[in-house]
Amino acid sequence: MKNQSVIWGIAAAGCAMTIVCLPQASAAVSDEDFNALKKLVVEQGQKIEQLEKTNALDQQQIQQLQQQLGQTQIVATNAAQKVETLSQIQPTYPLPNPTAGATHNFMLVGDAEVQFGKTAGQHSGFALADFAPIFLFRANDNVLFEAGFDTTLQNAGGPPGTGGGANTSFSMSFGQLDYLLNDYVTVIAGDMLLPLGTYNERNAGWLNKIPDAPLLDDQILPGSGVGAQLRGAVPVGEDGQMLTYSVYGVNGPGSVTGTGTAFQTSGDPTSGPNLDLGSNVGILGDGTQQNLHGNPSGGGRIGWFYPWKLHHDIELGISGQSGEWDDAGNHLWSAAVLDAAVHLGPYVEIKGEYANTWYGTDDAGTIHPHGWWVQAGYKLAGLNLDLPLVNDVELVGRYDGLNDGLGTKTDRYTAGFVYYLNNTLWFEGDYEYLSSHGPAGLPPNDFVLQLSYGF
Amino acid sequence: MMANRNNLDKLFSAARGFGAAGAGIATITAVIYLASVGASAAGDTNAPVTTASAPKVKNTQTTAKPDKKAEARPKRELTGAELYAIHCNRCHAERYPAEFTDGQWKTLMLHMRVRANLPAKQAKLILDYLQDESGHY
Repeated sequence: MKNQSVIWGIAAAGCAMTIVCLPQASAAVSDEDFNALKKLVVEQGQKIEQLEKTNALDQQQIQQLQQQLGQTQIVATNAAQKVETLSQIQPTYPLPNPTAGATHNFMLVGDAEVQFGKTAGQHSGFALADFAPIFLFRANDNVLFEAGFDTTLQNAGGPPGTGGGANTSFSMSFGQLDYLLNDYVTVIAGDMLLPLGTYNERNAGWLNKIPDAPLLDDQILPGSGVGAQLRGAVPVGEDGQMLTYSVYGVNGPGSVTGTGTAFQTSGDPTSGPNLDLGSNVGILGDGTQQNLHGNPSGGGRIGWFYPWKLHHDIELGISGQSGEWDDAGNHLWSAAVLDAAVHLGPYVEIKGEYANTWYGTDDAGTIHPHGWWVQAGYKLAGLNLDLPLVNDVELVGRYDGLNDGLGTKTDRYTAGFVYYLNNTLWFEGDYEYLSSHGPAGLPPNDFVLQLSYGF
Repeated sequence: MMANRNNLDKLFSAARGFGAAGAGIATITAVIYLASVGASAAGDTNAPVTTASAPKVKNTQTTAKPDKKAEARPKRELTGAELYAIHCNRCHAERYPAEFTDGQWKTLMLHMRVRANLPAKQAKLILDYLQDESGHY
């Protein structure tokens, strides 16, 4: 107990001395140190004040940025909604308004050609400038008027030294009114392209891959006739097979002199044939008919078309026409034509016709003109060569012949090409070798270059 | 007497003409008929345009008679695009749908239906295809 009292006494003494000594230690900080410390504290306070101001500005900027971000998000959301809405709309063109659509429509189609050629025994030169428009006027869904014209610039002079200049021929190839009675019958009236074979209707002009027509065209068969026609097609099955028909009545051929002789001057071949395939088209200026025979000619064609796969098809047809040709109506002119066309893929085409005609005369009995043509084409694109220029070329060949029944026989062999500048502009060329004998014989050879455009 | 002879000549000439034409028509009709029959028969084994994607049925060594109904090629209607490829290229280079407007195609197809003797339904399908693809109104 005594020891504890001693310890507590010592501890109390120590505390008293510490308390006494501490004020002496504080009094040791100088005024300089105090002022420096004070200055430091003031500077720190200023910095803190600046930082607080800066912080306030930063907060304002942050708020502005947050507002801008919100607006941007709204714009983006709207844009996304618009895109989604647009993506749900079908990408179609504006539909035509059927109530506002015109029922009438007028179109100009056709073709134009220019030729450069050389015939044996003659100088070469530009030989033809031809413009052949076809006017189409659709009156409504069932009525169409179509008329084709042929405008050709030609030399007006005779042999050298006998004349000069040029003139322009303008002729109507056809002009017909088509009335689509129903799905199977179309009624046609006017100056019609005749369905004697298929060349007249579907192979002439720009459609022909050889610059000139087969010999029989317009020589032993009429190209058109004035009259009326019924035609149509009946599909067979669903694979594209079909049967087609055409039945027509036309004025038919006529006679140059009105008589029934073989030549215009009986017995004189140089006077020219008396049969006139194209003149019987209407009334003369004095009100009389060109020909006096009163019975029209009748004719027609039936055809069969069968595509066994795309670009592989065959078409066969037979057509004919018969009727009086001389003014007295004593003699008939008749024709029978076989036609065929085959496509063996997109690159191979073969087509042809055989025409047999016959007509009676007063002085030479029955005359028997006949002719034929067969034409083949091969597009070099079928070779799969990596040569663009070659791929645009089609090689064509033709063999045609004609016996006019009046003593002239001609065989012609033609080799040529078509260079497709595009699907409507073609550059064509051919060389023709002819073997022709008789009073109306043709030169032995010929070459032709042609630029043709279909529109 | 002379007039009677002329009439007989005329009658004979007419009869001979019509006879020849009739014989020709009969011959071609027979050829067309035989070709149609042949084409129809060939359709069971060949792959025409309508069955280009149809699997061919190979003749297997079985004693059971083949089920003709099962072998018959499925029929489907040709599309306007297929008919366009079949018909247009027969006579001329194909014209692109965008070359003409809807109304012009309507006029052109009337013209082509008459000129090429196209069946009405096929002409309509081709027109629909050309108008859909033309892009012009």
